[in-house]
Amino acid sequence: LNMATHAGIKTVILLSFVLAVGFLMIILSCALWSNWLPLLVALTFVLAPLPNAIFSHCGNDDFTTDYEGSGPIDLGRFITATVVVTGFALPLVLTHSDIIRPGACAMSIIGGALVYGTILAYSSVFKQEEADYD
Amino acid sequence: SSNDDHLSSPCLSLARATTRGGRTIGIYLAGGLFALANWTFLDAAILSAHAHAPYEDPQIPPPVHVGFVDWVPGICSLLGMLVVNLIDKDRVRGEEGFGDSRAVWRARLFLFIGFALMAGGLAGSVTILVLKYVMKELPEQFLYYGYANVSQNVALMLSAVVLWISQSVSSEYEYNLSI
Repeated sequence: LNMATHAGIKTVILLSFVLAVGFLMIILSCALWSNWLPLLVALTFVLAPLPNAIFSHCGNDDFTTDYEGSGPIDLGRFITATVVVTGFALPLVLTHSDIIRPGACAMSIIGGALVYGTILAYSSVFKQEEADYD
Repeated sequence: SSNDDHLSSPCLSLARATTRGGRTIGIYLAGGLFALANWTFLDAAILSAHAHAPYEDPQIPPPVHVGFVDWVPGICSLLGMLVVNLIDKDRVRGEEGFGDSRAVWRARLFLFIGFALMAGGLAGSVTILVLKYVMKELPEQFLYYGYANVSQNVALMLSAVVLWISQSVSSEYEYNLSI
C-alpha cells in the first residue's frame, strides 16, 4: 500500500509538471507574438472532458452492469470528440487565415495536446485507484 | 428474430469487427467528423473574411466572398442530421410491438425528410461549387471556398452514417441496418 501511494504521488507530480508545461506553451504562443487568440485552445481543451463527466451519470442506473446504449452518454461522447477536434482545428484555421503565426499554431497545438493528455492520464489513473477499492 | 436474411456481407463483417467498444469508437469518430466538417467550412469563411487584395496590385479587391448562400447547404445538412438522429430507431423498424402502425409510418416519413435534407445539402453544395466558383473560372485560391463547402457536406453525411451504424450495431443480436 505504501509503495502504491508513493507511485501515486510520483504520478501526480509528473502529471502536474506536464500540465504546467502545456499551459506554459500555450501562454508563450500567445505572449511571444502578442496575439492572445491561441488562449482559446487552452479553454477548449479544459472544457473537453466536461460533457462526458456530465452525461456519464445520466442514462444507466447502478444495477446495469453492461453498457447498454443510452442516448445521453452517446451525446456526451459526441460533444467531447467535437470539442477535442475543435481544439486542434482552431489554431490551424487561424494560421491559414494569417491571423496567428505558424510558430504560435505549433506551440498552442503541442501545449493543448499536453494539457488534454494530462487530463486523460489523470482520469484513467484515478479510475484505476478507485477500482482497487472494489 | 428473423433478421438473418437482411445480412449482407460488408454489414456482417462490420458487425463482427464491432465489439462493445466499437460503439464508443464509432460515436467518437462521428463527433470528430462533425467538428472536422464544420471547421473545414469555417476555415473557408474566415479565409474569405480576411482575404486582402494582392500586394502588387492593391486596387483589385477579391472577386468573390463567402456569403449567406454558402452557409445554406451546411445548415440543411445539419438540420437533416438532427432529424435523422432524433428518431427512435426501434420505431422505424416497427417490429418491437409498439402496436401503432401510424407511428411507424410517421417515423419513416420524418426519417425520409431527414435524409432528403442531407442529400439536398450535398446537392446544394455541389451546385454552389459549380455555379458560383467553377463557371466563373476564378483562380484556384477562390475555388477552395467551393471545395470546402462540398467537403463539409460530405463529412457531415459520413458523420451521420457512422453515428447511425455504430448506434444500430451495438445491440448484440440485431445486426441489420435495414431501414
